[in-house]
Parts: sequence; C-alpha cells; structure tokens
Amino acid sequence: MNIGVLAKASIDPNMVRADSEGNILLESMPLALSEYDKNALEEALRIKQEKGGKVIVLSALTWGPTSKRLREAEQVMREALAMGADEAHLIVDEALIPGNPLTTSLALKALVEKIGGIDLILTGEGSMDTVSYQVASRMAALLGYPVATFARRLELLDGRVRVTRDLETRLETVELPLPAVISVTGEINKPRLPTLLQIRRAMSKPLNKYTLADLGATVEQAHVEVKEMKLLRVARKQVLIEESDPEKAADKLIEILENEGILK
Amino acid sequence: MIDVRALVLAYPSQSALDAIGFAQRASEQVSITVLTTRGGEKYSYRGVEKVIVANVEDPTPDQLAGLLEKTFSSYDIVVAPSSKDSTDALARLSALKNLPMFTEVNHLEPSGDGLVVTRPVIAGRAYVTYSTRVPAAFTVAKKAFPPQSADHEPDVEEIEAPPASMVRVGVEEKKFSGVNIEDAEVVIGVGRGFRKKEDIAMAEELARLLNGAVGCSRPITADLGWLPEDAWIGISGKRIRPKLYMPIGISGAPQHMSAAIDSKLIIAVNKDKSAPVFQYSDYGFVIDLYKLLPALIEKLKQRKRT
Ligand SMILES: Cc1cc2nc3c(=O)[nH]c(=O)nc-3n(C[C@H](O)[C@H](O)[C@H](O)COP(=O)(O)OP(=O)(O)OC[C@H]3O[C@@H](n4cnc5c(N)ncnc54)[C@H](O)[C@@H]3O)c2cc1C
Ligand SMILES: Nc1ncnc2c1ncn2[C@@H]1O[C@H](COP(=O)(O)O)[C@@H](O)[C@H]1O
Repeated sequence: MNIGVLAKASIDPNMVRADSEGNILLESMPLALSEYDKNALEEALRIKQEKGGKVIVLSALTWGPTSKRLREAEQVMREALAMGADEAHLIVDEALIPGNPLTTSLALKALVEKIGGIDLILTGEGSMDTVSYQVASRMAALLGYPVATFARRLELLDGRVRVTRDLETRLETVELPLPAVISVTGEINKPRLPTLLQIRRAMSKPLNKYTLADLGATVEQAHVEVKEMKLLRVARKQVLIEESDPEKAADKLIEILENEGILK
Repeated sequence: MIDVRALVLAYPSQSALDAIGFAQRASEQVSITVLTTRGGEKYSYRGVEKVIVANVEDPTPDQLAGLLEKTFSSYDIVVAPSSKDSTDALARLSALKNLPMFTEVNHLEPSGDGLVVTRPVIAGRAYVTYSTRVPAAFTVAKKAFPPQSADHEPDVEEIEAPPASMVRVGVEEKKFSGVNIEDAEVVIGVGRGFRKKEDIAMAEELARLLNGAVGCSRPITADLGWLPEDAWIGISGKRIRPKLYMPIGISGAPQHMSAAIDSKLIIAVNKDKSAPVFQYSDYGFVIDLYKLLPALIEKLKQRKRT
C-alpha cells in the first residue's frame, strides 16, 4: 500500500508583507508546509503503521523565482520527511510559476505516473495560500480515479476506502475503490510534531527533483494572468488596554461601548 | 465585448441566484442556461433562456460532473455557487476540458475577449485580480452578485443523469441553531481560550445583554462541536459585518479574522499580549477572559436595571 501525499510549499498567511500602496510583496513572504497537508500526511502515516508500504510526498513549486525559492521548498519537503514520510519528489520549473490549479495538477499527475505504484493519494482540503479547493478533484479526473473531498474520517477496507465527507449540511459516508484521491479536513487528526532525531534523519532521506521535461510533461500557459495582488486593509485603532483589575477593565470596556454608540 | 453563453450549475438549487447574477454580468450579450436537478425547477429561474433538469434527486459529485460534461460543449463559461460538491464537480470538468477555474470569485468585469475576476488569496488577507480567457469555470462568493430580475420564462428540458459511481453508505444530517450571525449587529466570538463547553454560557449571556449573537472559531465548532456550525466565522465558515465584533479567547488567525474585516468596530479579549488578534482590533483587552467576563456581565446587568 503506497500512499502519495500532496504537500504544498505555501505562502505563509501569517507573514504578510505589502508596500505602502498595499501591493503584496510575495517575494519577501516565506513559504511553509500548507497547514492541512500535515493532516493528509498524518493520515498517511497512520495507514502506513497499519498496512505497511511507503508514504511518498509529492510537490510542485508554484512560487518564484525558482532560484530563490528552491531552498525553501526543499526545507518544506524536509519537514514532511521529518514527520515520517519515506521519500519526497519535488517539481521545480519556471513554467509552473505563478501556479494555478490547472498547471499544478497537470504537473503533479505526470509525477504520479512517473513514480508509479501509488494506491491512494491524499491532499489537504484546500491550500493555505490560494485556498482554491481544486487540486484533489482535478488530479482524480486527470488520472481517471474516483475522488472524495473533505474527508474527516478515513478507513481502509479490502481494495476500497470508506470516507466520511464533512459537507455543509451533513456528514456523508461513501465508499470508493482504490486507487483513489481523498482530500482531508483539518479535523481528521492531530498532526504529529517531528522529534529532533527525526529532523536529523530526514536529511538523509531521498528528495528527488524534476523539471517538467524530466516528466515528459508540458503545461500550456493557461491564458491566466495575475494583474494585481493587494492586501485588504482596514484602519484599526489598535489601542491596547493592559488593565489587570477585572472591575476596572470592565468599566473601561463599557465606557468604550458607550462612546462608540453600541450602548445607549 | 463578446457574446457569452453561460452554463449555471444550480446546485444546491437554492443558492444558484448568485451564480446567475455572475453570469448576467459577464457580458451585455449573455445567454444563460441553468442546469439543475429534480426539485430545482421550483426556483423558477426567471430571465434565463433555458433550464435543464436532470432526473436525479440527491446527486453525488461525480453525477454532477457527468451532467456538466454532457452539457458543457457549447458554453463559454460555467458558473456555480461555491458549495463543496459543486466545486468538486466543476474542478473535475475543468481538468477534463483543460479550463482555468476560479473559486469564490467576488468581482467580475468583462474585458476584451476574456474576463477579469477577483478572488481572495493568502487566507483571505488579500485579493488577487486575474484576467482569463474563456472558456473558464467559476464558483461565486455568497451575496457578491445579486441577480437582476427579468420576465423571460425559460424553456425547460429534461435530461438523464449518469449513474452514481460514488456509493453512499450513510448520511447524518447536521443540527443548526438557526442563529444568523451574518446579519447580526453585535457578534461575540468564542475561541479556544474557553476551556469547556459550559463556559460558553458567559459569551451567550454577554450576547444577550448586547442584543447580539454568538459566533466562534473553527475548532470550537468543527473540531469540538461545542457550538453548531452556523456560528462558524471564517473563510471556511461565515463572513460577518456587524457594528461590533468581540473575539474572546481567539488568537486571530488570518483565516478567521479576514471574514470579520467588514466589522465596524472590533474589541478583542485575549490574555496573551502578542496574540495576532490585537493587530485586527480597535481595542484590545489583555486579560484573562475568566476574570473579565463575570465582571463585565455583572456591570452590564446592573446598568440595565438602573
Ligand atoms: C485552509 C484553512 C481554513 C481555515 N478556516 C478557518 C475558519 O473559517 N475559521 C477559523 O476560525 N479558523 C479557520 N482556520 C484555522 C485557523 O488557522 C486557526 O487554527 C483557528 O482560527 C484558531 O482558533 P482559536 O483562535 O479559537 O484557537 P487558538 O489559536 O488556539 O487561540 C486561542 C487563544 O485564546 C487565548 N486564551 C487562552 N486562554 C485564555 C483566557 N483564559 N483568557 C483569554 N484568552 C485566552 C490564547 O492566548 C490564544 O490566543 C483555517 C485554517 C486553514 C489552514
Ligand atoms: N503545488 C502543489 N504541490 C503539492 N500539492 C499541492 C499543490 N497545490 C495544491 N496541492 C494539494 O492540493 C490541496 C488543495 O489545494 P488547492 O486546490 O490549491 O486548494 C492542497 O492542500 C495540497 O494537498
């Protein structure tokens, strides 16, 4: 049972940088392992403990310039390896930058085929930066596999997988034959934190890099152009009140509510 | 400007109007076909050219994708509400037809032979504007595109749905409180700083005293189930725009705060001075909520009495 985990080196939304006009300064924002991809990886590691096989991390670098970002993307792969993945495969190619779900999925599909022998592909429900909710479904359609999105419970049966999907108004349990693609929610498990020893060990695990040419893939530039990326800004007063006496703090709060017209 | 033929996936059918509103703005010359499932006819999509009704009551996403594939060929854009199943179906179609797709679009401008669309990015902290060719696929943000009314009575056509390949073995409906935080004037936000479910009573009491509603962060509802999901504030929950938002025991993750950015006034309560929530706030009280809330509630009660 080999499990592929899609793990994205995402722009960290906690580290937003913008210029005085509000233009996002992408190049000065660091990359980090996308939050819910850790849940996908944790789920893969859990299944591996039960069923054996390998956990294989797959990724495409989608933020450039590649020369500057390569180190960061490798660091993200090392983090996934430290959590317990067996090997990592990273696509680095200018043609994928800036990424969009169309080109990203085509590249990752080529990678899955190149590696071969993957029975189950897990992804996060949405990536931390672009949150487009597309890559799992696109990958499945391209590979001709069934897909279940928003899994908050996952159970392997004989040649099948049983998944509880967390939808807007209900929980829906479905069964799919393998190979399949499953996107997982942030609630499916608690991702483990790697130990120091595991972090050190991750340095010697395989990390393979590919260009699109290595994969025999080409991606058509999708006629999608980013015109601008701007910070949503609202001026806030940001007054900090450090009053440790509850009575005084409560009075202060009520005074604010009165002054702001909330309490009459 | 180009003529645009739009296919609107009306699933769930009651939230299809935003998608129709999007399609209406795609061009001055637009013809709209609505693809719905059994029961969807009753929403009478006035002003559209045609309504296609598939003979399936409770479609699986693969059936929705199959229906889109069957009907797609003659359209320039495919639009759907941003529900989980319609997003899944649209993404599958987009992969098979090599279409760019944009989720949760909140602004649209026709431009030359394509479209310019805006959507949130970086966990909702920023927005990105794309220009794209057609054909392309879009899911639309709630309330972003109010539909224009029209008189035209659409033609109705029925089609056969493909068989479901995803097998449903169980369905459990979620319970909701029915509280509408989206339109509330005051929202009290409950976060992980609350140590147990019972303690949320303090937030409820405060909400009552301020004529407000209780909302919460994702873990309080999705993970712990301490509040029903209609209280969920955030990019994967609800957007709020009250006169006052009070996040209490909430750290201020971008995924949470960006859905409260339209609040007039934000007053945060957090015992950690360095909590990011204070950057998003007009007033930040650095204090233990277990100390502040009882005092605040008592004083508000007294104030009411006098
Ligand atoms: C793709 C994606 C989508 C997401 N969507 C959402 C979403 O829609 N909504 C959402 O909320 N989150 C969302 N999240 C999760 C988000 O990143 C945070 O994990 C979450 O918002 C944290 O919730 P919290 O603030 O309640 O908990 P924590 O981050 O654990 O914060 C608890 C806070 O309480 C404070 N505290 C503790 N005890 C006390 C006390 N006694 N008195 C006062 N303060 C105290 C602490 O200092 C801390 O700041 C999403 C994440 C991702 C990756
Ligand atoms: N560039 C990428 N490399 C690896 N995995 C990705 C990439 N982009 C998206 N994914 C996976 O697809 C999921 C959904 O992403 P998205 O469709 O962008 O919201 C993520 O949580 C990842 O698991």
